[in-house]
Amino acid sequence: MNWGLLFESYGAVFFDVQVLLMTLLGAAGGVLLGAIPGMTATMGVALLIPFSFGMDLIPSIGLLLGIYCGGMYGGSISAILIHAPGTPAAAATLLDGYPMCQKGQAGRALSIAMFSSFCGGIIGALVMTFLSPLIADVAMEFTSAEMLMLAVFGLSVIVAISGQSIAKGLISAFFGMLLCTIGMDPTYSAKRYTFGVKPLYSGLAFIPVLIGLFAVAEIIAGVERTINGEEKQESSNEKINEVLPDLKTILQIWPQIISGGLIGTFIGAIPGAGGDIAVFVSYGFNKSFSKYPEKWGTGIPQGVASTESANNGCSGGAMIPLLSLGVPGDAVTAIILGAFIMKGIQPGPTMYRDQLDTVYCVFAALMLANLAMLIVGCAGVRFFAKIVSIEKKILYPIILVISLLGAFSINKNVFDVGVCVVFGIIGWLMNKFEFPLSPVLLALILGPMCEQNFVRFMDLNGGNFGAIVGHPIAIGFLVVAVGTVLFSIYNQGKINKREAAAKKAAKANEQ
Amino acid sequence: MKKTQTKAFSNLVASLILLAFEAWAYFQTLGFKIVKKAAVQPATFPQIMCIGMMIFTVILLIQSILKLKKADPDDPMMEASASINIIKNKGVQAAAFVIVLCIAYAALFEVLGYVLVSTLIAAVIMWLIGKRDVKQIVLVSILVPLLMWFVFYKLLTVNIPMGVLTPLKNLVDMI
Repeated sequence: MNWGLLFESYGAVFFDVQVLLMTLLGAAGGVLLGAIPGMTATMGVALLIPFSFGMDLIPSIGLLLGIYCGGMYGGSISAILIHAPGTPAAAATLLDGYPMCQKGQAGRALSIAMFSSFCGGIIGALVMTFLSPLIADVAMEFTSAEMLMLAVFGLSVIVAISGQSIAKGLISAFFGMLLCTIGMDPTYSAKRYTFGVKPLYSGLAFIPVLIGLFAVAEIIAGVERTINGEEKQESSNEKINEVLPDLKTILQIWPQIISGGLIGTFIGAIPGAGGDIAVFVSYGFNKSFSKYPEKWGTGIPQGVASTESANNGCSGGAMIPLLSLGVPGDAVTAIILGAFIMKGIQPGPTMYRDQLDTVYCVFAALMLANLAMLIVGCAGVRFFAKIVSIEKKILYPIILVISLLGAFSINKNVFDVGVCVVFGIIGWLMNKFEFPLSPVLLALILGPMCEQNFVRFMDLNGGNFGAIVGHPIAIGFLVVAVGTVLFSIYNQGKINKREAAAKKAAKANEQ
Repeated sequence: MKKTQTKAFSNLVASLILLAFEAWAYFQTLGFKIVKKAAVQPATFPQIMCIGMMIFTVILLIQSILKLKKADPDDPMMEASASINIIKNKGVQAAAFVIVLCIAYAALFEVLGYVLVSTLIAAVIMWLIGKRDVKQIVLVSILVPLLMWFVFYKLLTVNIPMGVLTPLKNLVDMI
């Protein structure tokens, strides 16, 4: 660790007005979007990433990390106030947050959520700062074989956690990888799936595809739900009196904050696993070690603290594989990786050798993003509490026109607006048929890495794939990838059986 | 519930559509350039992806067929599929209308310009989903695209087509 450069980078980030402003704006945007039920952090980043065009790398990364951290916390606001998690990562917060609100402690619950989110985020950022260089050191020795299998491993994990059907998750992942092959082949410049359309020669632009899949598709589905009367209009009139928890509460919740932050960080560091898993693991872990587990779920501060520190801990954890291996930890970091690539920087082990100052600036930006989230949260918690009541009938058209403009502005090309619309339709259909979207996104990022390393490996070994046996680390990744998919199939089977039994019991109770 | 309204049936339909798409995508790869002495041809990777997709689509197809065979129409536990019936389902009709609007938006983006085309689409969608406060519709649908244009054009220096409203851009430039 180069301490001098690390402190210098912190100084450069914390005292740069543009970075400060962008991070604060990002945090405000993230909390705002996260507070609206149904608007995920992924959608927030997809929607706001065009605002980072034209900026230098660090301000734009500050903006995106601000949205990421803000979105993670923002989800808790609606979970606590209206029993509807703003983001999947806030799903466990409502278990104790909403009962606290019902007891008239909405302000206390929100202040605990904010403070725990901040502490969890700082734990994640610290672990990232010290752990990722060690991983990068090991990864420096990786050849094309290891990189290929690392990408396969990354995909296997995201597929494994992508929902009820593993087959659908894998189809989505292969579809995403196939999309990556559109355009000129990177090795021989052969045209693939271009059909004489010139804008396709350079391949599909990542951002319009992303905005289409995650924002436009959601608008189409939202309109459908509204017309069918399935869209609930939420509202909350809770008065918020507390901004930060008092010392007594902090002393009560600190063990949950630390364990939640660490659990979140380590789960976030597993490629593909994100906040939605971490919060339940942290909640379960802290509940089982509690002296009074029977009180969990009735509205206790420890419940809120354990989940909120875990989901913000994930933000630091997910950055570990992104920076050290070039493999995104979750959907949001996949978009952040896209932003790096857009700026001409390829994260991965070589970044620690060639651009250490940039790496340290990213560390500092994450720390700043958590601080910005705390400042924005303290200053605007009463306002954000009103956001949960925003009318969707106004919100949907606003998001649509911002999304389509974002798709245009990446290359200043109307063709990208068309691409965004097409992927909006594809995303809507995939949602209808319950095909997960996240594997497509991850595959779009990992696909080129996979193909380039595959071609390089095969060229070096005269087309003999069997030569992979000589690379024990690569084999290790492959075994873990296969094991992950097999375990997920087994685990999903158990979950499906349990859910079917629960449904049957519920039906029997109704009758 | 009819078997055709179950999730298993919709999975079966989806698998058949996907298989047709995958066969088409694979067939396309046969026309890619062949490079002499290359260990991996430009077509190899897309072919592997097509085959991978096909394998899991066939698995999904078999799962759906087995579920449909076992399915009992009187079983209350049968999972219903999401509707894509454009004739009967008003929500799907509205979604299809939004899709048509989006396609028209992309086609008219350069001709009419971002602000005008966005104002139109925002107003139509708000009306479509039941917003009836004309003042709010007019205000939101005009102000949001104008503000976005201003932010992107002036602050982020992205040149956005203004189409018939180009004089407005010239006016802002003059100020």
